[in-house]
Amino acid sequence: MSNPGSPGVNSSPSSESPTVARVGPSRRLFSSLEGVFNEEVFFLILSVFIGIFSGLAVVCFRLAIDWIHLALLGPLPETHGWRLFAVPSIAGLVVAILVLHVFPGIRGSGVNQTKSALYIFNGFIPFRTAVGKFICSGIAIGSGQSLGPEDPSLQIGASIASALGRQLEISREKHRLMAPVGAAAGLAAAFNAPISAVLFVIEEVIGRWSAGILGSVVLSAVASVVIVRSFLGSEPLFRVPVTTFKRPSELLAYAVLGIVGGVASVAFAKSVGYLRPRLKALPRWTQYFQPALAGLLIGLIAFLGFPQVMGAGYDSMDQAMHGQYAWKVLAILAVLKILATTLSFVSGTPGGMFAPTLFIGAMLGGAVGDVERLFFPYLTGSTGTYVLVGMGVLFAGFLRAPMTSVFMVLEVSGNYEIIVPVIVANTVSYLVSRSLQKIPIFDLLTRQDGLILPSLEEDREETILRVEDAMLAVPPTILSAQDYVDASFHRVENSPDSSFLVRMHPSGWNTIGRDQLQRLYREGKGELTLASVLQAPSLPSLYPDLPLDSALRYVNDFPLIPIVNRADSRRLEGVISRDSVFKKYGSRRAIEVSAPV
Amino acid sequence: MLRRFPKLVPRSAPVILVVLTLAAATGFAAVSHLVSRYTLNQQARGRKLYQVGLGDAKAARYDDAIAAFRAALTCDPTNPQYQLSLARALRDSNDPGRLDEAESYLLALWQRAPQDAAVNLALARVAAHRGSIEDATRYYHNAMYGVWSSDSDGNRNRARIELIQFLLRKNARAQADSELIALSAALPADPASHLQAAQFFEQAQDFGGALAQYEEVLPADSSNSAALAGAGETAYHSGNYVVAERYLRRAVKANPDDANSRQLLASTDLVLGANPFHSHISDAERNRRITAAFSQAEERLTQCAAQSHVDLKLTTTPPASALPALQGRWLLAKPDLGLLRSPAETDLPDAIMDVVFQIEQQTAATCGPPQGLDLALLLISEKREAASQ
Repeated sequence: MSNPGSPGVNSSPSSESPTVARVGPSRRLFSSLEGVFNEEVFFLILSVFIGIFSGLAVVCFRLAIDWIHLALLGPLPETHGWRLFAVPSIAGLVVAILVLHVFPGIRGSGVNQTKSALYIFNGFIPFRTAVGKFICSGIAIGSGQSLGPEDPSLQIGASIASALGRQLEISREKHRLMAPVGAAAGLAAAFNAPISAVLFVIEEVIGRWSAGILGSVVLSAVASVVIVRSFLGSEPLFRVPVTTFKRPSELLAYAVLGIVGGVASVAFAKSVGYLRPRLKALPRWTQYFQPALAGLLIGLIAFLGFPQVMGAGYDSMDQAMHGQYAWKVLAILAVLKILATTLSFVSGTPGGMFAPTLFIGAMLGGAVGDVERLFFPYLTGSTGTYVLVGMGVLFAGFLRAPMTSVFMVLEVSGNYEIIVPVIVANTVSYLVSRSLQKIPIFDLLTRQDGLILPSLEEDREETILRVEDAMLAVPPTILSAQDYVDASFHRVENSPDSSFLVRMHPSGWNTIGRDQLQRLYREGKGELTLASVLQAPSLPSLYPDLPLDSALRYVNDFPLIPIVNRADSRRLEGVISRDSVFKKYGSRRAIEVSAPV
Repeated sequence: MLRRFPKLVPRSAPVILVVLTLAAATGFAAVSHLVSRYTLNQQARGRKLYQVGLGDAKAARYDDAIAAFRAALTCDPTNPQYQLSLARALRDSNDPGRLDEAESYLLALWQRAPQDAAVNLALARVAAHRGSIEDATRYYHNAMYGVWSSDSDGNRNRARIELIQFLLRKNARAQADSELIALSAALPADPASHLQAAQFFEQAQDFGGALAQYEEVLPADSSNSAALAGAGETAYHSGNYVVAERYLRRAVKANPDDANSRQLLASTDLVLGANPFHSHISDAERNRRITAAFSQAEERLTQCAAQSHVDLKLTTTPPASALPALQGRWLLAKPDLGLLRSPAETDLPDAIMDVVFQIEQQTAATCGPPQGLDLALLLISEKREAASQ
């Protein structure tokens, strides 16, 4: 909670969102159409409206950025004009004042703020955040700060959805999910890429696959994309040239790109992670000038001949894709964009890192591809192919969203021929980045803000304990329900075990203790069968592949639980007991505690 | 401050959906209005930038033109005219790195309107820049058979002419020839078109086709000196000296300053006067021509030997030069001259002239192109060789 700007931190949810405290299943909401609407159906319909409203907002946001850019920097690219310095600096000052005095909640990543809303603030994101993001990000990006419109769009969508959810007083569970649904809509609208948006929100925001939320996320993303396309056309972000992948041996070249991209991702993430807390720790008055200084430095880079680093940079990516830059220029642009984006982001200027990430990846991809072709002229991949693959590489390495990165490239390019290079390069980049920097950038930012949010990457890497891990060998003595008490007692009389499994007829299992058998025997019930003395219900059966957590609910009630084969429930694979389960958890905890952080 | 929405929405699902629908419709209408106003402003700005770009492109300031067209496209991203102009500027900037981008714009346009002749022509030019005969031919053909906004016939002919020029540059004579045949069938009846077509035929080494095109000009303009000179020259190069003499004489008469035609006419006269195989000459005249050619060959051989410092009397093994051997053949054939009058020696003229032709060809190879009668004899030898083949 160190970030005074994060939602619900500077203003607690309970004080600013009384509805959140009240939300719960609304009886009135569905009473009139009971049987037609339930909350699930209503939530799905609501998702479409969230998509529509988010799409409309993102259309306005994009127009605002374009308009501000035209008004401040002019339509024609200026290479050595005074405006290159003045505009981002003055705009930075204006944005700083707005952020510090009017919209304190808009600093930082929209992804993390949406995630915080989901996990901490019961889905609450102040609507003021949407307004603030719209205005401040519009000014910042339009004036040339090296940031992208996707992350603000995501948060605008999330804010709209959250506000709608509050107004409609839907259940707390659904209200929590409103923000991610809106986030997917906002991101889909910004990228004009619904699949990538859905995947990203699932991968990075929600962190788990669930049929209930997936439907809503997809509906909102599709609705917002339809809205954006109806206003701004269905033109893709880039005019993708012919991309080819002919020889499997060329995958090595793409793997090299993955390594370079992974290292660059780490450099980018480390520079952001290193500078951000240090700049935040400076006296408050410096925060007025940090965005302005970042703007000034970016203006200097532009003045020195690299105006491509200003703004989101989609035009430059497009040109790189068509071989407009030599490899040296591409490499310089990649380095300068890392610098410029780091400056913009750590200075607290609101805006996203999606577009800059794609930019850096595109330039790096083009540079690596061109250099590789210098040494190995037989490589058939065009510069455009490497640029496209490079985009995915940085996305996978920096944002640590490997699945989204693959689909992003495919959706943007509309070309499935390069799927193999994309998968190879992205995977290599992801692995390199993960091995060099354990904490993904979004987690790093939340930890810097004093929040601990769940991470899908951590979940992915966590080894799940299964029933088979705690399973004991099949006991030597298995009784049958048809056995008599006296015979059974004599069989177990000298056994070291105290409980025994009983195979029931025709199926199922039960247990009986030696003490119980002894008691029945002494009471003169030795002529009875075990079936007649054992009471239903019989034991639950578990399967070896089930999570060990599923055994926890039984281990206190039964001394032994049979583990049976999925194909033949009468075939015993082993047993688990409370001791074996707890022992397994205990050894796992010991490993985690001793593991280096 | 926007701390909370006012609680305006009644808590009933159908009412909520109606309210949301109304809100969405209102929002849609408002954004539509906003977008349309913004679009109009942007389109106006785009038109200005486009004009700037056109001016720059016209002045061959392609970098500035590209920047202006790009800016115009940011204002009106789907405008095909801007895209086409940007693609043309990218292509014409003579930066091979920009061809990809030009092609990308054009392909996007092509996908939208594959029948658009202007787009196909631009794509053909990109392919021609790349030197791809197959792609260029395909797109030029698309342009020829595509839809033009105006002057369809003229544009189609110009596209075909461009294709022919490209094919000739790439030395693809067979393909050029077939395009030329198609072109000649569709040419308008103006001398300039026929003259241009004739020149293409000449470049494609199709002298018959060229002569036919030059002759197309003359009925309407019988004193067209360019057509007369061209017809004479193509007839001369195709070995049709009788026709060449006719046109070249008219060409010199029409334009006395035409030195080339005058020179070709002189050569033609010599060929016609020296050719012993001409069908309309008497035996005596034939014998006279053979004798004169034989003497001329000897003279040429002696001059060439002196020029190249070869002693015609020396024979070495292996021979350092073919000239002494030719001298030997000439000496062997010399007594046969006296037998020319004999009616039994029907092969003798060919045999003697064969020696003459060999001397002329070898001396041309050793000592360079001949002049005067030697040139005439060489041309006659080439014509004979072509006829025998």
